[in-house]
Amino acid sequence: MEATEDLALMSTDSLVIEVAGCNTISELFWKRVVDLPDKVALREKEFGIWNEYTWADYGEQAKLAGLGLIALGLQRGDVCSIASEINKEWQFADLGIIGAGGICNGVYPTDVAEQVEYLINDSNTRFYFAEDEEQLDKVLEVRGRTPGLEKIIIFDMDGLQTLDDPQCISFDALQTIGRDYANEHPECWTERIGAAQPNDVMVLTYTSGTTGPPKGAMISHRNMLYMTQVLQDVYDITPDDEQLCFLPLAHIAGRMFYTFAPMESCSVVNIVESLETVNQDQQEVSPSIHFAVPRVWEKQYANIAIKLKDATRFGVWSYDWALAVGAELAEYLKAARPPPLWLRLKGFCAHHAVLKNCRKYLGIHDAKWLSTAAAPIAPELIDWFWALGKPMYEVYGQTECTGLATANVAGDCRIGSIGKAVPGTEVRLSAEGEILIRGPGVIQGYWNNEEKTASTIVNGWLHTGDVGRIDDDGYIYILDRLKDIIITAGGKNITPSEIENRLKFSAYISDAVVVGDKRPYLTCLVMIDEENVTKFAQDANVPFTNYTSLCHTREVKDLIWEEIEGVNSKFARVETIKKFRLIDQLLDPEDEELTPTMKLKRKVVNVKYADLIDSMY
Amino acid sequence: MAGSLIVKNIETYYGPIMAIRGVSLEVRAGQIVTLLGANGAGKTTVLKTISGAMEPQKGSVDLDGEPIVNLDPDVIARRGIAHVPEGREVFPFLSVEENLLMGAYSRKDKGVRNDLHAVYDYFPVLLEKRAQAAGFLSGGQQQMLAIGRALMLAPRIMLLDEPSLGLSPKYVAEIASIITRLNQERGITVLLVEQNVKVALDISEYGYVMENGRIVMEDTTERLKQATDIQEFYLGMKDEGVRGGRRWKQRKTWR
Repeated sequence: MEATEDLALMSTDSLVIEVAGCNTISELFWKRVVDLPDKVALREKEFGIWNEYTWADYGEQAKLAGLGLIALGLQRGDVCSIASEINKEWQFADLGIIGAGGICNGVYPTDVAEQVEYLINDSNTRFYFAEDEEQLDKVLEVRGRTPGLEKIIIFDMDGLQTLDDPQCISFDALQTIGRDYANEHPECWTERIGAAQPNDVMVLTYTSGTTGPPKGAMISHRNMLYMTQVLQDVYDITPDDEQLCFLPLAHIAGRMFYTFAPMESCSVVNIVESLETVNQDQQEVSPSIHFAVPRVWEKQYANIAIKLKDATRFGVWSYDWALAVGAELAEYLKAARPPPLWLRLKGFCAHHAVLKNCRKYLGIHDAKWLSTAAAPIAPELIDWFWALGKPMYEVYGQTECTGLATANVAGDCRIGSIGKAVPGTEVRLSAEGEILIRGPGVIQGYWNNEEKTASTIVNGWLHTGDVGRIDDDGYIYILDRLKDIIITAGGKNITPSEIENRLKFSAYISDAVVVGDKRPYLTCLVMIDEENVTKFAQDANVPFTNYTSLCHTREVKDLIWEEIEGVNSKFARVETIKKFRLIDQLLDPEDEELTPTMKLKRKVVNVKYADLIDSMY
Repeated sequence: MAGSLIVKNIETYYGPIMAIRGVSLEVRAGQIVTLLGANGAGKTTVLKTISGAMEPQKGSVDLDGEPIVNLDPDVIARRGIAHVPEGREVFPFLSVEENLLMGAYSRKDKGVRNDLHAVYDYFPVLLEKRAQAAGFLSGGQQQMLAIGRALMLAPRIMLLDEPSLGLSPKYVAEIASIITRLNQERGITVLLVEQNVKVALDISEYGYVMENGRIVMEDTTERLKQATDIQEFYLGMKDEGVRGGRRWKQRKTWR
């Protein structure tokens, strides 16, 4: 057994991964710059105008940044960190760092100063890119305790014109240094590009460790090249495709989808103006391929659900009718069979009366497909998008396998499952039911953390920490995080995320955490959807002043209980929620309870709200 | 004389624009309560809705337990709510005394003379200028006149809309102390809208903060003064940061 496993491991490792004849990301990037100088690579909306950047612009900007770093002393294998909201400079700096042979680590702009300090020290960051004043101040606050940090480079100098600090320079100044360096060393850039090796680490992605501090996953050129191939296999992306870039680039999903996949497919990436303008920007771009996290889809659904509350009776009736027709059509679409004529006729009416408008409103009208991952999603929600006429495919993966490991694809899709293993990747279950992954996407390990590496990647098999099952047709289902499985005092195993997903499907519930480990029954903590619950309270004439008092009104409690009862009816008796409490503080991503994607962190919630939880037992 | 006010879920529109998106607040009899917020937050609209100058689409306003919403402004004034509008709005061509007597227009009781003297006691400068046209008064004196005129209604509640607007610091302090005295000596309940947050927090016991037509925070003024968002966004107290001269703002959390 051991011997065959080792053999298989060697064969995956020796597999040559090439995209367009290139075996490193640096090489592939530069090939696109040279071959497609005039094709638009990026667009960024600034003050309401979409500015275009061709591959030649992209290459030039990245090259100047990269050479600037080299002039300042960047050696191959040195780590640089970027703390910024998504913008073109993020992308330029990223490719500059990678092209120069450095390793690029993304920092969430919502991270607080202590986290920044940890990340700089743990990753041995030498060069730190800060978006603006705000990001700069965080690093200035901690730089006394980050001895390895050499230079801070600032993208946006607004309000910093008078800054006089030998450790800080602007991004423009860095590029000027790069330009001068290029004049003296014209061959340097292409030499560095050529020096990259497939197994060189090029990206560090810190994973929000629920146990212990975050760990830096080391992603190599080869890992990422493989992932671009996988994305092409799964999604069939063409050079004419338009993507909307709005998820954080510090996250693996954003990085692979907005930065690296377009190097394979040459699709166009449209960077939103700000996170507040995403809805409008999406309507304007109407992306032809669209990937988002469940929270975004939940918001889109809630958007329509709430609009419907203000609709006329006829409006509601037509919506219900059109969605029922859409759902019927979707069954044919899923099975790739042509629908019968009468259904096509009804579908035509439904499309023009309702569905088209919904899709335009959501900005998904031109999307060939929608894709979701990074968190569990309610199957009902996926069905809803299918009924709107847009196929939605759930995919699954982790930072530690550079993104995707399994996917539902057109013509081979089962809702509720995460699909089957992507080409080149193997998936199996351990004896405990844990999902194990092996393939060219699996990382070499965690940065400076051999202990964690050894416990996570065993004989080439990545231990995901997710419990799953595989059905007779090979579709894989995720049950929950291994450590999140609840065993009630009665000895019943319960997978909380299944219940939580159903709860989140309610327009009034933003997130929920089910509790009940070693307890007689299940309870949950609920974070309400502020906008929708506020609207409910207004409509029902419930007096309240602010978020806290809103949570304490009887009507809101009744409303949430009704939603919970609805979910309860779908589960067995031992799996029903008996009591709940609302989290009466309005949380934002800077709070430790929330992930940057606004999900509640189970562990933190369990500790921080222990009193509230105890009050239910 | 009581004078409690309960506002529940009011929604008020300017044409198609929703200015108040569901505001509930409570002013107990004998309290001074302040309503804070940036320009355009909807503070003035709340006062106008209470005094009947605007009708809400929705919601209720109760004065001492009786609904007053959708009553005409003059009826509401007769019930004992005096609204001192932003920008004073004195009658410029009437004399000071005529202005004051206009405040008692709806009263038929014999106390009017007494109240007139009381107003002159509070604002001796008005006595000095009683025969002058109100338009010739300074801004601070006009503000006193506007408050005095409201006082002539013998109100249960006074709604004060930015009484410190455009006044010199000396007048601001004086007006503030008079508001406190009116509240303590005459038992008048006060709902105060102010841009001068420091003064407002000093003289009132409870406060609400509005933003974009909604209340985002409420608490005793003691606690509001300690809240970091109030300190940074309303009191201009901010940590200068490591560099000095920090310009970016924290995200507001309102806790």
